[in-house]
Amino acid sequence: MELRPILSALMRSKVSMILIGLQVALTLAIVCNALFIIGQRLDRMDRPSGVNESDTFTFSSSGFGEGFDARAVMKSDLEVMRQVPGVVSVATTNSVPMSDGGWGEGISLKPDQKTSTAGTAFYLVNDSAVQTFGLNLIGGRDFKPEEVQDVTFGDRPQPEVIIVTQALSEKMFPEGGALGKQVYLTGDKPSTVIGIVERMQQPWMSSDEVEYSTLAPVYMTYGNSSRYLVRTEPGRRDEVMKAVEQKLAEVNPSRIIGKLKSMQDFRADAYASDRAMTIILGTVIFALLAITALGIVGMASFWVAQRTRQIGTRRALGATKFDILRYFHTENFIITSLGLVLGAILAYAFSLWMMQTYQSPKLPWYYVPIGFLCLWALGQIAVLGPAVRASRVPPAIATRSV
Amino acid sequence: MLKMTHLQKVYRTHLIETHALRDFSINVKEGEFVAVTGPSGSGKTTFLNIAGLLEEFTGGEYWLDGVDVRGLDDNARSKLRNEKIGFIFQSFNLIPDLNLFDNVDVPLRYRGFAAAERKKRIEESLSRVGLSSRLKHYPSELSGGQQQRVAIARALAGSPRLLMADEPTGNLDSLMARGVMELLEEVNRQGTTIVMVTHDAELAARAQRNVHVIDGQVTDFDEEPRLRGAEIGDRRSGEVVA
Repeated sequence: MELRPILSALMRSKVSMILIGLQVALTLAIVCNALFIIGQRLDRMDRPSGVNESDTFTFSSSGFGEGFDARAVMKSDLEVMRQVPGVVSVATTNSVPMSDGGWGEGISLKPDQKTSTAGTAFYLVNDSAVQTFGLNLIGGRDFKPEEVQDVTFGDRPQPEVIIVTQALSEKMFPEGGALGKQVYLTGDKPSTVIGIVERMQQPWMSSDEVEYSTLAPVYMTYGNSSRYLVRTEPGRRDEVMKAVEQKLAEVNPSRIIGKLKSMQDFRADAYASDRAMTIILGTVIFALLAITALGIVGMASFWVAQRTRQIGTRRALGATKFDILRYFHTENFIITSLGLVLGAILAYAFSLWMMQTYQSPKLPWYYVPIGFLCLWALGQIAVLGPAVRASRVPPAIATRSV
Repeated sequence: MLKMTHLQKVYRTHLIETHALRDFSINVKEGEFVAVTGPSGSGKTTFLNIAGLLEEFTGGEYWLDGVDVRGLDDNARSKLRNEKIGFIFQSFNLIPDLNLFDNVDVPLRYRGFAAAERKKRIEESLSRVGLSSRLKHYPSELSGGQQQRVAIARALAGSPRLLMADEPTGNLDSLMARGVMELLEEVNRQGTTIVMVTHDAELAARAQRNVHVIDGQVTDFDEEPRLRGAEIGDRRSGEVVA
């Protein structure tokens, strides 16, 4: 290997080497951290909500006019919707996961507890919600129709029975789980945990306790408004959405049907900023890598053109085409490696700054070595074209007059 | 050492054919100092390139130190060039970013010598041209004559059988040219065969034998080598067969 003479020659033309080295260093530092952020965002977007998203939709109904009996309409609507072809199940709910709007409560183990044990999303649902949401009941039982309380808007519901998520159960009772235990939600009256569902996210995606959710069997209308959840047969969601909207408008025209929105739409909206961030960072990474690769191609092409006679001389002195190819690849390897060493320091420094400024997690150690390998490969691929051109310089160039 | 028989070199474009060398025959024996002269465009450089394995030829035969070079692939030609031939160029062709040590080292690395062997050869050859004290200097820090001495050291470091010199004094003033020429004569006296392409009649006269080329053909040659002072009797005669 010609490492020493190549390095020694590079030291005599430092500017190009420093510029490309810096470019490689910045690329490594930014790409490693950007990839890490993208990975975090993708992990976040990939979190399961715990509910059936593909075949479920929700909407609100707001009555107007005198004598509109919201509670009676709610119960008759449920019956009407169950008759619509393609409907598997319908339920009432005050909110849905990923919707960014809902009821939050503190949940405590004792009635006089000053600080609640955990914060929880408080889903007020009827007895068919577990089935309609498609929740996976892993312990206990579902609500019975007779357990569903009628609560007037403004009153604080005090359910006798509740279903909680596994995450909340483990938080409240790390040893043994919450099933059969009594907890306190909105007052001094205890609620007994009768069921555990595997997972159900809160409406708020930025919450650190996104899987702490509680379902309570409560019919609650908000004035003349109520919210429904409909589960359809697989593949019939869009068709059923239209049919349900039409049917409800027919049976009771004294109300406004709010926008029907699928759970997939809620997911898309909930993670729109994450998706945008991923796309932006992905574009930045692509642009940086492209600029770095083009920089290497440009520098190497310039050096090949500048050194045509020198390459011819080397060939005349006995270098094979492969020797010339190897020379340029080695030269690029040296420059890239120097840049990468600096880039590794910058990558960890940038990560440290992100940790201190934005409480980001620490950049995992393996990002930088993988970045090394990728940028080495990028450098070698980028220099291949100019190096091949250099290897094709005929040795007879050495004897040509300047 | 170098034998070309009825050699042809034709450059072809889609419009024209140019016969750079035609029916070119020459036989340079081991230890000779041959000067190849001729006007610009006569084919001297083409001859040098083909003799130095820098270019391929179109027809005829070429034997270099007993090796038929026809049909050799690029790698084999590079290896043969590296082992058998030392080059001295008119513009010295030193690598400006390498110091003298590394410049002389270039062909030795391609030869695959071990580091210790290379160091010994570099120091010896630079010492032979009187530049052993300037190993760490760069070409730009030397005069033209000194640079050509480095080029000669680089050419000699690999102990080649044949030295090809292309206008070796073309870029030097007369004083430096004389010094370089004396060095070449000394190298030749020590047994290295030299083929020198030159315009300079005075320089050519100092060679043992002259070959004159016009329009790609040998038009004039010395049948017998001219003897130079002290070397009378030391030489075998060269034969030009064209």
